[in-house]
Amino acid sequence: MKTKAIELPKTSTLSLLSDARHFQILFLGSFLVMVLFANDFPKEYLFQIGLTITSCLFFQLVFTHFTNKNYASWKSALITSLGLSLLLKVDALEWVLFATFIAIGSKFLIKYKNKHVFNPANIGVVGTILFTHHAWISPGQWGSNIIYLFIVGSLGFLVIKKVARIDIALTFIGTFGGLLFIRNILYLGWPIDLWTHQMTNGTLMLFTFFMITDPMTTPNNQKARIIFAIILASVAFYLTTFNHFYAAPVWVLLFMSPLTIVFDRIWKSEKYRW
Amino acid sequence: MKKKVILILIAFTMLPILQSFCGFYVSTGNSKIFNQASEVILVRDGNKNTVTMNSDFKGDVKDFAIVIPVPTVLKENDIKVVKKDIFNKLNQYSEPRLVEYYDEHPCQPKYRYDDMVMAESVSIKSNAMMVKKEKELGVTIEAKYTVGEYDILILSAKESAGLKTWLLQNEYKIPAKAEEVLEPYIKSKMNFFVVKVNLVEMKKLGREELSPIQISFESEKFMLPIRLGMANANGPQDLIIYAFTKNGRVESTNYRTVKIPTDKNIPTFMRPNFQEFYKDLFTKQYKKYGRNAVFTEYAWDLSSHNYQKCDPCSTTPPSYAELKDAGVFFANYRTPQGWQGSDYEGNLFFTRLHVRYDRENFPMDLQFQETMDQQSFQGRYIMQHSVNVDMQSCSEGRRYYNDVLNRRENELETLANLTNWDIDNYEDYTNEIRAKLGYKTTKSEAKKGGLFFFSKGNKPNKTLPSLLLLTSLALISFLIYKRKTLLPKLAVIKNFLF
Repeated sequence: MKTKAIELPKTSTLSLLSDARHFQILFLGSFLVMVLFANDFPKEYLFQIGLTITSCLFFQLVFTHFTNKNYASWKSALITSLGLSLLLKVDALEWVLFATFIAIGSKFLIKYKNKHVFNPANIGVVGTILFTHHAWISPGQWGSNIIYLFIVGSLGFLVIKKVARIDIALTFIGTFGGLLFIRNILYLGWPIDLWTHQMTNGTLMLFTFFMITDPMTTPNNQKARIIFAIILASVAFYLTTFNHFYAAPVWVLLFMSPLTIVFDRIWKSEKYRW
Repeated sequence: MKKKVILILIAFTMLPILQSFCGFYVSTGNSKIFNQASEVILVRDGNKNTVTMNSDFKGDVKDFAIVIPVPTVLKENDIKVVKKDIFNKLNQYSEPRLVEYYDEHPCQPKYRYDDMVMAESVSIKSNAMMVKKEKELGVTIEAKYTVGEYDILILSAKESAGLKTWLLQNEYKIPAKAEEVLEPYIKSKMNFFVVKVNLVEMKKLGREELSPIQISFESEKFMLPIRLGMANANGPQDLIIYAFTKNGRVESTNYRTVKIPTDKNIPTFMRPNFQEFYKDLFTKQYKKYGRNAVFTEYAWDLSSHNYQKCDPCSTTPPSYAELKDAGVFFANYRTPQGWQGSDYEGNLFFTRLHVRYDRENFPMDLQFQETMDQQSFQGRYIMQHSVNVDMQSCSEGRRYYNDVLNRRENELETLANLTNWDIDNYEDYTNEIRAKLGYKTTKSEAKKGGLFFFSKGNKPNKTLPSLLLLTSLALISFLIYKRKTLLPKLAVIKNFLF
């Protein structure tokens, strides 16, 4: 399943649409704007976003300068910075720099067969939490809202349709949601709205439609991706339910990322190209 | 253009720095803002938890009973009763506060320190679950204690119908809807902590009112079971949570945690109405955030190395003895060091959360996490008093009163934004100044408020919305202008996407 390159006249503004990253930027950007609107533009947060974006682009520039000089990759850096702005919480702004450095650095330094191993935003967030005592994830930061599900879901759908990663997103959310449903509703007997509350969590949505669908850090083969998503969802479910570790999906993804290499060896498929 | 945008951005980021904490805090109101709220103190370090519950139970004490799901079988040492004072203390310390300032005379600057401040607080009412046999019902009494004025049972159950029957047989009034939530707790291997008042003990101890109960246990779960309490409640209930942890602010992981609006200048006539003001402010926020958010009302680093434990202080910060009462098991005594030095050592962070919950909007128990955030936060509202200036003799008088007029207009707007009060009723507040300046005392002309939802209290920010509006207008007109060339392309987009 590889997307066909769409041929559009170079001069047309529509050629903008041929790059899935533009969709991602649009998607994450509008989500960020929505969050800002809902919170009356908190000044500190605006500053954090600004710093995240500039430092991501800066590090990207520095790293490209000393490596492949492929400056077109700044779009990925922008996507990473938007992801970081949405997920990472810090107690002081300097830790944003730390996070963006890890995020962008990992892209250039931790590579296997020309494919980076970790999702940059993912390792940026988890790395900062692990190595400093100044960062955290707020899984409840957007609450649970059916409107989020709709907006994030539909925008996310466009992005993943474009990058042909719908399989991993749907498998993940299906498995995770299914397990939660079996445990909480069927077994424990909570009323159904507990489940909808859990499933419409903004962070979960963002994770599903944005983070795990990154074509660069997921297995190239579709079968491999589905297995990957099932393992991810099951482990995340276990940690959430039995260890009361609510940011589990984000953490599990980081520790599962190296598996991609193994999966790519077993199931061979062509690498994704932007 | 670019410069302008940059300037705006800078102005934006400067605001929090300009408004630093300070002010005078003098007297404290005795009454509580929310007198129908329950209060809980949560202390957590690692997997160790101490939970203290205060009830505002008003009826006949022989009717009082609670059932709380607990993760373990509590031992007698794990259960204590504590003095009610600790709740009043914590409430006073952390409640949203009103601070007052006085203007300097524009012509004869001199400082006056007879400022006054008032604070009001918030309290809790327990959602006292009316509570109180066995083998054939699948109910096991795991333990039985008498602690303070309470008879306490730790129950485990096999199924909810049995537990319900047992509770009813033992004269624990159980609301009809309780069964739906008992089941999940039983299956999650929770035990039930069941409390009733022992009238004999109570008389012996000479207690007038019920003491808060404090329980300690080890559990990975950092949560509060609110679902059981909802079963018998009519309408939303208020819950105030005082949390003590080592590293930073506590927030909910399954509901949004938002800070209450703070550092707002409000009109000076608000002093007698501060409670009403804060109640309405809270209600507005509660609705704004979809009736299912958790609000941070106070957060402060109480570590022994931090000498400023509140600013302004509505009461003294909690001492070692008070922390022990609150169940802060990790606090260690030391001789106080330095001025305002604490008599305990180590890291300690205090968070006050306010939740208004009901069955419909809170389908899940509250889950929490401790963050690394050590930033101080308090709900603080400012009254700025003006001085009397003789405009004849004081050359600055006119300018001063113009500033005051401006300020008062903003204050009224803030008031309206925060509480939805009708500020037309308070026109005297600005007209008084207008009269002094010889202006027409008109109805407050054209209400100044930003565009749509953009009016933001003291300083309505109109730049950004105007820019956005202009951009979108420009975009729309461009699209209309270019529609002949653009329309055919839409087909291409459609083909491309689907």
